[in-house]
Amino acid sequence: MKYDALVVGSGIGGMESALKLGDMGYKVLVVEKAPSVGGKMILLSKVFPTLDCASCISTPKMAATIHHPNIDVLTYSEVQSIRSDGNGGYHAQIRQNPKYVDEAACTGCRQCEMACNVAVPDEFNADMVSRRAAYIAFPQAVPKKAVVDRAGVSPCTHECPAGIKAHGYVARVRSGQYDEAFELVLESTPLVGSLGRACYAPCEEQCTRGELEGALPIRQLKRFIADRRYGQEFQPSPEAPESNGKKVAVVGSGPAGLTAAWQLARKGYGVKIFESAPQPGGMLRLGIPAYRLPNEVIDDDIANVTSLGVEIATQTRVEDAQGLLYDGYDAVLVAAGTHRSVRLRVPGEDKQGVTTALEFLRAVKLGEDVDLAGKQVLVVGGGNVAIDAARTARRLGAGSVHQASLESCDEMPAHDFEVEEAKAEGITLHDGWGVAELTGGERVQGAELKRCTCVFDADGCFAPEYDEKMRKQLECDVVIVAAGMGADTEAFGLETNPNRTLKADPGTLQTAVPQIFAAGDVVTGPTMITQAVGQGRRAAFMIDRYLEGTELDPAAFEEFLPRVDKLEVLRRQDVYDRREPLESSETMSAAPIDFAETEATMTEEQALDSTARCLDCGVCSECHACVDACPADAVKLDMRPEEMEVDVTSVVLATGFKLFPADAKPEYGYGRYRNVITGMQMDRLLAPTRPFNSVVRPGDGKVPDNIAYIMCTGSRDATVDNPLCSRICCMYSVKHNQLVMGALPLADVTVHYMDVRAVGKGYDEFYQQAKDMGAVFIKGRVAKITEKEDGNLIVRYEDVEGDGGVVEAEYDMVVLAVGVQPNLEVAGLFEEGSLALDEYFYVGEADEDIDPGRTNLPGVFVAGAASGVKDIPDSILHAGAAVAQAAAHVEKLKAKEEPKAKEESKAKVTV
Amino acid sequence: MSAALGSGSNGNRPAPAVANRDVREIIRDEHFMRARILEVLAEGPLTVPEIAEAIGRPTHEVVFWIMGMRKYGYVAEIKEATDEGYFQYQAVPREL
Repeated sequence: MKYDALVVGSGIGGMESALKLGDMGYKVLVVEKAPSVGGKMILLSKVFPTLDCASCISTPKMAATIHHPNIDVLTYSEVQSIRSDGNGGYHAQIRQNPKYVDEAACTGCRQCEMACNVAVPDEFNADMVSRRAAYIAFPQAVPKKAVVDRAGVSPCTHECPAGIKAHGYVARVRSGQYDEAFELVLESTPLVGSLGRACYAPCEEQCTRGELEGALPIRQLKRFIADRRYGQEFQPSPEAPESNGKKVAVVGSGPAGLTAAWQLARKGYGVKIFESAPQPGGMLRLGIPAYRLPNEVIDDDIANVTSLGVEIATQTRVEDAQGLLYDGYDAVLVAAGTHRSVRLRVPGEDKQGVTTALEFLRAVKLGEDVDLAGKQVLVVGGGNVAIDAARTARRLGAGSVHQASLESCDEMPAHDFEVEEAKAEGITLHDGWGVAELTGGERVQGAELKRCTCVFDADGCFAPEYDEKMRKQLECDVVIVAAGMGADTEAFGLETNPNRTLKADPGTLQTAVPQIFAAGDVVTGPTMITQAVGQGRRAAFMIDRYLEGTELDPAAFEEFLPRVDKLEVLRRQDVYDRREPLESSETMSAAPIDFAETEATMTEEQALDSTARCLDCGVCSECHACVDACPADAVKLDMRPEEMEVDVTSVVLATGFKLFPADAKPEYGYGRYRNVITGMQMDRLLAPTRPFNSVVRPGDGKVPDNIAYIMCTGSRDATVDNPLCSRICCMYSVKHNQLVMGALPLADVTVHYMDVRAVGKGYDEFYQQAKDMGAVFIKGRVAKITEKEDGNLIVRYEDVEGDGGVVEAEYDMVVLAVGVQPNLEVAGLFEEGSLALDEYFYVGEADEDIDPGRTNLPGVFVAGAASGVKDIPDSILHAGAAVAQAAAHVEKLKAKEEPKAKEESKAKVTV
Repeated sequence: MSAALGSGSNGNRPAPAVANRDVREIIRDEHFMRARILEVLAEGPLTVPEIAEAIGRPTHEVVFWIMGMRKYGYVAEIKEATDEGYFQYQAVPREL
């Protein structure tokens, strides 16, 4: 791509530059960081000294810039670097940030904005009101298209192996949208209730709030929305899609199988699940005790799947996966889990009274008669399953429950909280002990334990070492072995790994038989439920692609934006309110007698309070409210940044200025005293598109009776390293004075000034006009502002022209006429140090007096306030000077190139 | 959308621990506070100080929430300010 000129920035200086160059016939590229062109001028109320409407002047220029045939505009884009091409021109590297909205489709209707569940400060209203993560910058934005503000993926969402939009459903709950939150989880998996109880919540480990008082209870929020949904009298049925005529068999009804079936059924596939157990649910049903996951919740989750027409054939063991293809299925997914128990391999393991944790838990969960009353039970193992078995035995009335694990408490694979809960329920832990032998006659009567000195070798592999001399005896009637689980895959006739898991491509989950896919624990070995759910989702995605004849591209499954940096999130605020995490609702009993759930569902108040703690790390929560609301289907959250390089003959820098940060003058209390505002904030309050309904105090909404202005805030002030006059503050304050007196006829306006600089055509008259309208001007610098309890402000100043001395005056509201600072970002566009800045760090002009707009770099020009503060007319004039030189530069290069081109052309003809 | 809060919701919560909360944090609470504010406005229009008293939160925080709710069509002001210089805000049916 080749342009005659690159204009960086689209404020009034940038727009003028582009329009003039475009009108001369040059091809121009404008690059603007904001979602709209217009810069600061479009945000102003009126312009001085004419009091013309700033919007009325700006908007035609904005529209002309966008629609000019010779001008291309990239909004929401950044110039990253500009480097010389060695021939008088430049290469510019540009990053086009994704708007996550298809501009061609977006009608600017704001439905996305109205629906969005994330509120952030509105920088286009000087942070006086909220905007949304999905937003249109301001009503006169050009282009008037929405953008979605995404800083990255929130850590909670990024961490979820199931791909559940954790931040999204938290944001939905915060807005009271409980059904919508449930539906959002359904986009990933039908197991909302099960995950709300039994998930180990890796999301919470990553929650940024965890760096403050503690993580959000993200799992419990899922349980809250599931219980609320399942508790409703009327259950909205998911809409069954039209059949696509294809059939898929799923072997296994655990988390992976159910999730895959759900996803496939939603795409119109006819799905049948084959389950060998008497009831569906896999490990959810057979392995997790009811006090953690009641059967009714699993039933509710499975009803989501069957409501789409998925059939589940229980007590149907599939011996030959390929045989299902001959039965007419177009594809098969094997998600059979890991239901084979690993043996302990110690003497006495085959005695009566010795069982495995999987058999034991399965029997109890399926309601079989398991009598442990008064028995002495030993559970062997240190994982979650061992803990589940021990706590289950306790509930069945065992006289004592001991648990022996090779690992010490710190090393046990079970989660810390589970170990603590087991202890609280009266289970005696023997950590760091292994079983040497199970003793007794035909029936087990005891166990000899030996001290385990080390569980893993230097490579982290399981290789226990023992102190054979340290032994102890335990009496027991029942031994429950929880030494691990494995896949039982021999019957499937598919290729397996040495550990008997199925061989499948990790990205596509396709086995060596193209129509057969495998997912979940049967592929990965035992994992968390969420990982199995994630595998189920991936498998469904790949099966769909396979049956559609699309390439099985693992990268196409789910491409996340980068995870947002937690430190960056925490840096967004100076202070954090302490918001206590939800207290645990676990009710523990030293001698539990039934399988009632130990954790309660949170109340609505607890749910809302918990969601209010969310920091909206990614800004956009991915709650999909905008996607649902957009009538044009324009929201595209899969958009990604685009990098481009363009060749330009000249560059016009129109990067404008920054406003002085008013809190750098702490004696004026900005940021602490709510009724102290900046000049830009007052401009917004006076603008037709103002953030409030009138000029009212931000502290309490009161219409102010008397307003003070403090001039030269951050200008002509050595204490903040800015000796320069900011030129515009006097006149914008005088403008405000008149507008305020028009808007609030009864209000008094007082200006505390050093001296009023009204240099310009009609400026002094404008100043006199303000005085004639009643504005009072008091000479003398303000030393300090203090706040009264009612929000009024005491301004302390030296009365230079009156009676002298230090005087205090009380006002309802104070406006700080903040000055201007250079925009330092511009120098970073060029090779370090190559663009010369002046002594105040504005872009340096080689000869300001006789050659305005020319920088030290040939072909690079500066327009408007980037070279030093200017008011609007001066910016426009300066832009004219800059583009005249840019045009001359382009012509000069053309003149050089033309003879060369002619010669080349002649040479070609001769050849 | 189910926006109504049940009884005993956040009305009686203690004031935030940080007296001068970060603007970003206050604004982030807008969705959370919206239902509560609409609940108190269901009785009739109120000024910012009256809303603040009803929900037990500082007036400057209420200004952020009310102005956000106004911007997004949940409330509207009554045209004339009261004698004390405050506008009253009322809940309005939201057009989507």
